[in-house]
This record gives sequence, C-alpha cells and structure tokens, in this order.
Amino acid sequence: MKDRMIIFTCVTTIIGFMVAIQFQSTKEPEIRDTRNIHELRQALTFEKERQKELNEELENQAEMLYQLQQTEDLEPIMTDAIEELKVRAGLTEVSGQGIIIEVSPIFEEDYGGGAIRSVPPYLLRMLLNELNIYGAKEIAVANQRIISTTPIREANGVTLINSNRVTQFPLKIRVLSDDPESLHHAVMASRAREYFSYENLSINSTPINYITLPPYDRTLRVRHMEIVKEES
Amino acid sequence: MWLPVMGLLIGILLGLSTEFRIPEAYSSYLSIAVLAALDTLFGGIRAHLENVFEEKVFLTGFFTNIALAAGLAFLGVHLGVDLYLAAVFAFGVRLFHNIAVIRRFLIEKWVNNRKKDRDMIEE
Repeated sequence: MKDRMIIFTCVTTIIGFMVAIQFQSTKEPEIRDTRNIHELRQALTFEKERQKELNEELENQAEMLYQLQQTEDLEPIMTDAIEELKVRAGLTEVSGQGIIIEVSPIFEEDYGGGAIRSVPPYLLRMLLNELNIYGAKEIAVANQRIISTTPIREANGVTLINSNRVTQFPLKIRVLSDDPESLHHAVMASRAREYFSYENLSINSTPINYITLPPYDRTLRVRHMEIVKEES
Repeated sequence: MWLPVMGLLIGILLGLSTEFRIPEAYSSYLSIAVLAALDTLFGGIRAHLENVFEEKVFLTGFFTNIALAAGLAFLGVHLGVDLYLAAVFAFGVRLFHNIAVIRRFLIEKWVNNRKKDRDMIEE
C-alpha cells in the first residue's frame, strides 16, 4: 500500500512538472521596453516635433474657421484655400530661383556597352531623394512635374515618369530651391553623381535665377483615402 | 491519500521555479505526453479502487504511453498527417471513461457507507 502511494506520488510529480513546463512554454513572454536613454530621447523629440506640427496645423485650421465664420461671403476664402492646396499638390506652374541639372551620356574610348536609351529609374530615384535631402522645393524631370504620387518605373527598357517616356538626352531636371548655390554644390559632390558615372552618364548642374516648372498635367487619382466623418 | 496531491504541487512548483522552457515546435509533443500521463494516472486510480492494481503494469504503462504518444505525434508531423489527433482521441475517450468509472465507484462507496451508518443507528 505504501509502495503504491509512493509510485502515485512520483507519477503525479512528473505530471505536475510537465504541466508546469507546458504552461510556462506556451505563456507569452512579457514584452519589455528595452530602449536606452538615447532612444527614448529620440522618440520624445520625434513626438514633440509631431506635436508641434499638429499644433501648427490646428492653428491654421482654426484661423480658417474663424475667417469662415466672420465673413458672409465664403467663396473667396474657399477659392483661396483650394488654390493653396493646388499649389501644394503641384497642379500649378511654379517659378523661382533654382538649378538645372543636365544628364548626358559619356562615351569613353573603350566603351563596350549597348546604346544608352534612358536613365535607369533607380538612379533617377536616388537623385531625386538626394535633391529632396538637400532642400529642393519642387522638381520637374523633362517637363514632368514630380508630385507625391509620381511613379518612376521602367517598361521595355525605357524609363517612364508619370507614364511618359523619358528618352531624350540631355535630360533636363529643373529644381526649385531657396538656396540654389548650395544645392548646386551638393549635387556636384553627391553620391548620385558617382553612381551616374558607373552607368556612363554625367551630371552637370547650373544655378539659375529664374526657372519655371510645368504643372502636373494629369488627373490626380485619389485612392485608398476616405473623408473623415466629423463626430457629432 | 494526500501524498500524490503533494507530489503534484511539488512538481508544479519545481517546473515553475526552474524557468525551463521548451521550444514552441515541441510543445505539442509535451501536451500529448501530459495527456497520456493523465490517462495512465486515472487508469491507475481506477485499478487501485477495483483492487486490480499492479505496480509493474502501471509504471511501464506510464512511460510507454508517454513515449508512444510523443512518437506518434512525431511520426504524424513527418508523414504530414495529424496523427496526434488519434492519440488525443484515444486518450480523451479513455480519460473520460476512467473518470466515469471512478465517479461511480466513489458514489457507490458513499451510498453504502450511509446505508451502513443508518443501519447502525436503527439497531
């Protein structure tokens, strides 16, 4: 009888052990915040900037609301607002000081590749990213205005921007900037220039006092966006 | 009587205190092993109540059942068939059956005891 109890005890101990381990293994590990002070500060700064942006936006909207409430005639204000939004979306012609970048092929004596038909999309994307980093306000590539939804892709070996073929050389990229001189230097010293040279393309930029950028000439399609219903 | 319960508690405490974890991929094996162990345990309790308990049968049954269940699950994973479901089904049915038998046995015992007590009072 005593043996029996000891056997049962051993068996139940083993079962208890297995159940406990099973329980522990299937239990979700607790998620801990493992960021260090530096990362926390970064996150805090980011949130502060966000807050600032949101506050500014709020102020603008409040001012507009005030104006709308004050005036009887709503039309001019709304037209103004629409005009401003159109400018921001890139649907209008803009001009000002900036730089013109010319991309042209270079053929060295021992050039052995095929014909260069257009600038590869990845290089264009790289250049545009660098321009944006260095403070470009508006960009147009070969009469195609770059807006927030502009696709740059390749089809049948030809680069398409806004679904338009970009094949002519030299390719002219017009960039608006508040500080054309420093943008010019940044472009001439950029990494993109080096990468362009690997593809036998050369970049030349010239600062210019007055250039005009064409508007985005297609219909803007807004997808994946919904109007936020005001909570009553 | 309280010794097995103590054993269970000790086992759980031991398992929780060791912080031992098995990889997620093997947790199904362990769960089926637990099921097999429980099945054997209840089978043992039933045999004990029916006075047909044999230590050798119980102990060998305990370990072979666990090994077989885990092995079946392993084979199932490698064959691409959910063979562990067969083990779950078999052990589940037997578990319920054993528990039902144990319950009936205990009720019978309880009723008999009460009858005995009443008889004694009447006498």
